[in-house]
Amino acid sequence: MIHIENLVKRYGDLVALDHLNLDIQEGEVFGLLGPNGSGKTTAIGCLLALLKYDKGTITIFGKEMRPDSYDIKKDIGVVMQNVAVFEQMTVWENIDYFCGLYIKDKALRKKLVEDAIAFTDLEDFTKMRPKKLSGGLLRRLNIACGIVHKPKLIIMDEPTVAVDPQSRNKILEGILELNRQGSTIIYTSHYMEEVEQICSRIAIIDHGRVLAIGTTEELKKMIKTGETITIEAIALDAGTLADIRELPHVFDLTYEEQVLKIRLSGAKHNLVRILNYLQEHDITFGRVFSELPTLNDVFLEITGKELRD
Amino acid sequence: MLHLFKYRFLQTIRDFPMMFWALVFPMILGTFFYVSFGNIGLEGTGESAWEAVKVAIIEEDLSSENARSFAAFLEQLDGDTLDIQNITSEREAKEALNEEQIQGIYYIKETPSLTVAKNGLGESILTSVLTNYNQNSAMFREIAIKHPENIQKAMNAMEDYRQTTEEVSLGGKSMDPNMQYFFALIAYACLSGAFLGVRSSFDGQANLSALGARRSITPTHKLKLVLIDMIVLFLIHFFNILILNLYIVKVLGISLGNNICALLLVDFMGSMIGVCIGLALGCVGKFSLGMKIGLTVLVSLFPGFLAGLMFGNMKNLIELHCPIINRINPAAVLSDAFYCMGIYNDMERLTRCLLILAGMSVLLFIIAFLGVRRERYDSI
Repeated sequence: MIHIENLVKRYGDLVALDHLNLDIQEGEVFGLLGPNGSGKTTAIGCLLALLKYDKGTITIFGKEMRPDSYDIKKDIGVVMQNVAVFEQMTVWENIDYFCGLYIKDKALRKKLVEDAIAFTDLEDFTKMRPKKLSGGLLRRLNIACGIVHKPKLIIMDEPTVAVDPQSRNKILEGILELNRQGSTIIYTSHYMEEVEQICSRIAIIDHGRVLAIGTTEELKKMIKTGETITIEAIALDAGTLADIRELPHVFDLTYEEQVLKIRLSGAKHNLVRILNYLQEHDITFGRVFSELPTLNDVFLEITGKELRD
Repeated sequence: MLHLFKYRFLQTIRDFPMMFWALVFPMILGTFFYVSFGNIGLEGTGESAWEAVKVAIIEEDLSSENARSFAAFLEQLDGDTLDIQNITSEREAKEALNEEQIQGIYYIKETPSLTVAKNGLGESILTSVLTNYNQNSAMFREIAIKHPENIQKAMNAMEDYRQTTEEVSLGGKSMDPNMQYFFALIAYACLSGAFLGVRSSFDGQANLSALGARRSITPTHKLKLVLIDMIVLFLIHFFNILILNLYIVKVLGISLGNNICALLLVDFMGSMIGVCIGLALGCVGKFSLGMKIGLTVLVSLFPGFLAGLMFGNMKNLIELHCPIINRINPAAVLSDAFYCMGIYNDMERLTRCLLILAGMSVLLFIIAFLGVRRERYDSI
C-alpha cells in the first residue's frame, strides 16, 4: 500500500531522514517507534507531501504522492500530533466541517459524523466548544476529525501525547477497531507499550534510519536478551557481583541503589539458578521480578541507549 | 461548497478578537472622535478654526503711489484676513518671524515684497494677498492709462463681483474639517479587514498551523479553499463596514454624502483590499500568529495615520511633498475615494481610485494564493 524508498530529508546540515526505506501492507497497524527527534514526524510530513525532501520516492496506493494527488488524499485520514480543530466551532461543527472537505453528499456526511461521534464517545459533548473539553476529550475530537470520512489509510502521529491513561486506552481500543473495520494504520509513538499493544508490525527508527523492522516477536528475537531479572538486595559486594556475572546465560549486570538488574540470554530456569545462588550464599534479598524482553530492550541493544533518553 | 461557506462564516464571526479589531475598534475610535470634536473643538484634532494671519509691515519707502496704495490695501485686510502686529523695525520683525510669532513680513515700497520663513497655509494666504494686489493694481494702472474714463466702472465691477460671488464646493457639500477624520476612519476600518484575512491565511498553511496542515492534506483544492475564505471574509467585512457607516451616519449624525451607490462601491472595494492585505500578510514569512497580528496592526494603523486618521492635515502634507505615497497607500486612496464621492462629486477621480484599489486587491490575492498553494514546505 505504501512504498518509501531511499528517502532523504535534510534541514540544513542536519540529516532528518537518512535513506529511509519502508513498505507498509494493506490491513496492517504499522508502528513507527523512535525517540523524540528520530524522524517520525518528518517521515509523515514527507509521506503526506507537506514537506520537501532531497531524495527518494514515495508511492501510496501504487501512485506517486504529490501535493496535488487529490485522488490519493481522499482516502487518507490524518490525526496530527497537535490538535487541529477550530476553537470557534462546536464538536459537531468541527467534525462536520472536516468531513465536508472529503464528502459532498449531505445525508452521507451526517451519518459519518454521527458514526465518528459514537466511535470516539463524544455524544455528550457535541454542542461544546474545544476550549471546554478536557485534554483527553480534545484528543478524541482530534481523532474524530481525522477519521470521520472512513479513510482506507489512517496516519496517526503521536495521538496520545499528554493524554490520561483512561483516555489513552479508549484511543488505543478505537484504533484497533478502525483496523478491524478495514483501515490500514500508521501509528507513530515514542511510547513502546502502546506500539507493542496495537501494532502488528513495527519499525524502530533513530537518526532518520530504520534500525529494525518486524513483528514484536521478531524484533525481540533479534536481540540477545531473553530475560531480565531484577532483585532488591542490600550491600552486595564486588565478589558477589562477579560470581553472579559468571552464572550461566548472564551477559550483563548492573547494581544501582540496592537494585540488581541481570540480563540473561533466552534459557530455562534462569530465575531458579540465581535464587539458589543467593540462598547458598545466605544473601538477604527483597522483591524479585522476572521480565521478558520489551521493545525498550530491543532499542537499548540496537542503539545502546534507552528509548526515552 | 455551501457547507464550507457556512462553517467558515460561523468560525469567522465567532472569532471575537479578530471581529473586535475589524468591527468594534473602529466604532470605538469613531465615538472617541465624535466626543473629542464635540467637547474641545477642532484644536483637539490638530486642525484650527480660522484665524487671521499674523504679519508685520515694514514701511521702507512710502514715496511712491503704489507703495501708499499697497499700505492702504493691507490696512483694509487687517482684522479679517490679516492680523497686523505692532512691529515697526525690520530687526524686531525678523526676530518675531524666526520665533514664529508672525508668519510673514510685508515690505512697503515701490514694488512691494514679502518675506516668509516656511511653507504653510498662512504663508500661502500672505503670498496670495500680494499676488492678488499686484495683478489688480496692474490692471487698474493699465485701465487708467488706456481708458481713464472707465476706471470707476472697473472698480464698481470688482465690487459687484465680490458681492455676487459665493464660494461653493463642486459636489454641493460644505467641507467640514471633521469629515476627513471620519473618511480616514472608514478607510482604516476597511484595512482592518486584514485582521480577518491574516487569521484565515494562517489557518491555511501547513508550516504555520496544525489546522493548515490538516486542510492541506484534504482532497479539496487549495484555490477553492482560498476563494471560499476570501469571499466569506469579504462579505463579513463588507457588512462590518456597512454597520460602521450606519453608526457614523445614524448614531453620530455625520453625513457621508448622498450618493449611496458610490458609498457602497467604495465600501465594497475597501473591504476587498482590507481582506486581501490580510490574506497576503498571513502568507509572508514563517512568523507566529501573534507576530502577524502585530504586523497587521502596523499595516492598518500606519497607512491610516498617513491618510490623516490621527492628524488631519497629514494627507495634504504628503500630497505636497511626496504624492506617490498617497497613490499607493490604500488608506489614502480610500479616503480620496470618499472625498470624490461625498465632497467633490468627481466621478473620474473616484473611478481612478477604485481601479487602483481593484488592482491592488488582485495583486495581493495572487500573492496570497501563491503563498497558500505552495506545493511543499521546507519545514513544518
